[in-house]
Amino acid sequence: MSGLKVNICGVEFKNPVITASGTFGYGLEYARFTDISRLGGISVKGISYNEVQGNLMPRIMETTSGMLNAIGLQNVGVHRFLKEKLPLLRKYDTRIIVNFWGKSIEEYVQVAEILDNADIDMLEMNISCPNVKEGGIAFGSDPAMTSKVVDQCRKVIKNKPLLVKLSPNVTDIKPFAKACEDNGADGISAINTLLGMAVNINTKKPYISNVTGGLSGPAIKPVAVRMVHEVSKVVKIPIVGMGGIIKWEDAAEFFLVGASAVQVGTANFVDPEIPIKIIDGLEKYVSEQKLSNISELTGKVDLSK
Amino acid sequence: MKGIILKNERLNDKYRLMEIESPEFVKDAKPGQFVMVKTGLQDYLADPLLRRPFGVVDVRGNTFRLLYMLVGKGTRLMTESLAGSAIEFSSSLGNGFKSVKGKNVALVAGGVGIAPLLWIAKLLKDDGCTVSLYFGGRNQEDIVLADEFRPHIDNLIITTDDGSIGEKALVTAPFGRDVKSFDRVYACGPKRMLQAVSEICVSSDVPVDVSLDERMACGMGACLGCIIYVREGEGTVQKRCCVEGPVFDGSKVVWDSVCRVG
Repeated sequence: MSGLKVNICGVEFKNPVITASGTFGYGLEYARFTDISRLGGISVKGISYNEVQGNLMPRIMETTSGMLNAIGLQNVGVHRFLKEKLPLLRKYDTRIIVNFWGKSIEEYVQVAEILDNADIDMLEMNISCPNVKEGGIAFGSDPAMTSKVVDQCRKVIKNKPLLVKLSPNVTDIKPFAKACEDNGADGISAINTLLGMAVNINTKKPYISNVTGGLSGPAIKPVAVRMVHEVSKVVKIPIVGMGGIIKWEDAAEFFLVGASAVQVGTANFVDPEIPIKIIDGLEKYVSEQKLSNISELTGKVDLSK
Repeated sequence: MKGIILKNERLNDKYRLMEIESPEFVKDAKPGQFVMVKTGLQDYLADPLLRRPFGVVDVRGNTFRLLYMLVGKGTRLMTESLAGSAIEFSSSLGNGFKSVKGKNVALVAGGVGIAPLLWIAKLLKDDGCTVSLYFGGRNQEDIVLADEFRPHIDNLIITTDDGSIGEKALVTAPFGRDVKSFDRVYACGPKRMLQAVSEICVSSDVPVDVSLDERMACGMGACLGCIIYVREGEGTVQKRCCVEGPVFDGSKVVWDSVCRVG
């Protein structure tokens, strides 16, 4: 199994397969359905300072090889998370990454400061949720705002590594990745969902009450692979790649274009065993490719003609 | 979980009944629970992507049954599953119905909402209840499984919109006339029917359990796509239809928060 051991931003993961924020609850929901101690890590549902109820229903709709969601970052708030969820989650042998967000820079900083002193392994700043008006995407669609929020949070995050999760809903993702690196981020996670829409032709209404939602699932994988490839060309910090991974072969693609670890998202809804299947598949691949460690795969895409 | 399809029977153009063998599943399943079924047989099929929720009809020995209505791609694919082939599904999910002893109870079903009521009908009968089934549909085609209920119920009242079988009325008409005679009501069907049944029950002070069917991605409480609002104390609280439901106290459901109409 050591062939899958990776070090991301100074934290050792027993394998590079992490469940993605928003698709794995607080981890505990899945304990009945899969052995969560086998996971490299869990990135929990995006946490804000106060409890958030999220968007009106309907919030989800399946589309071709994917789904739209506009949950609206529903979460129990940082205090309840630390008190009610984290102690139970900590009993499992896996790394805990806490995805967090705010409606203002002040809220980002407030939550970051609390989490920096909590019993977690890593923070993942969400500047890319397309489904809430304030916060999330407002900071992820302007490189100057990205710089500002990363810089301000970095100042209070003293004990833990900081990942920043980028949005694909930009013309060019590279300046955003660069802004994160330049302002002290330890790593990049990419990508969040792609903004999408679907309309019911009988009622003539959008399927999602928020009108638009974030598209995820296998449908977005080629876009995600391309964007991770672009990010890897401009930053030196590690990249956690994601977007449409449902099998180990998908994960391997992300390594080849520059990822050091991967996150599995929508696939958890389809079958909670998928991350474990991906871990097993990658392990076999590493041994068949005669690699001593999966990190030897990172960035090894062959672009020669 | 995996099971083997023993039967995938055509009831009519609209409905199919699937019998699945799975000793692992039947040992924990309870009436009123549901399963998330992988509708495509091939692993490489990413469309349809998500599993589909179906109420468990009943368990018999090592097998359980699912009733499904042909709605879209997923259910069409299910019709192609042959007896003898494997099928993937979740373990049993949701809170389910609770039986009561020695009461006069009514079951109210609309269309495919008949599915989760057969098992609880059997239990209620075994527990000494008098059981009446009010079963409504658009037409005769919707009235499936009625014969299977007969040994477990005392009264069967059928209604259809077009009068092709039973009384030409909404199911709430005969139920509304009789409601005062019941101690407890169990209902499953379209949202408007469940809302009407709940209002009738509330006005006569009869407890009512409704089984709701929301669109859900995971069925495990993680996606937060199937939120229902329920009155609690002075305010309302959010519940996940998949985990805290699918069965709710009909007098507490905030009906405007329920999306699935069909």
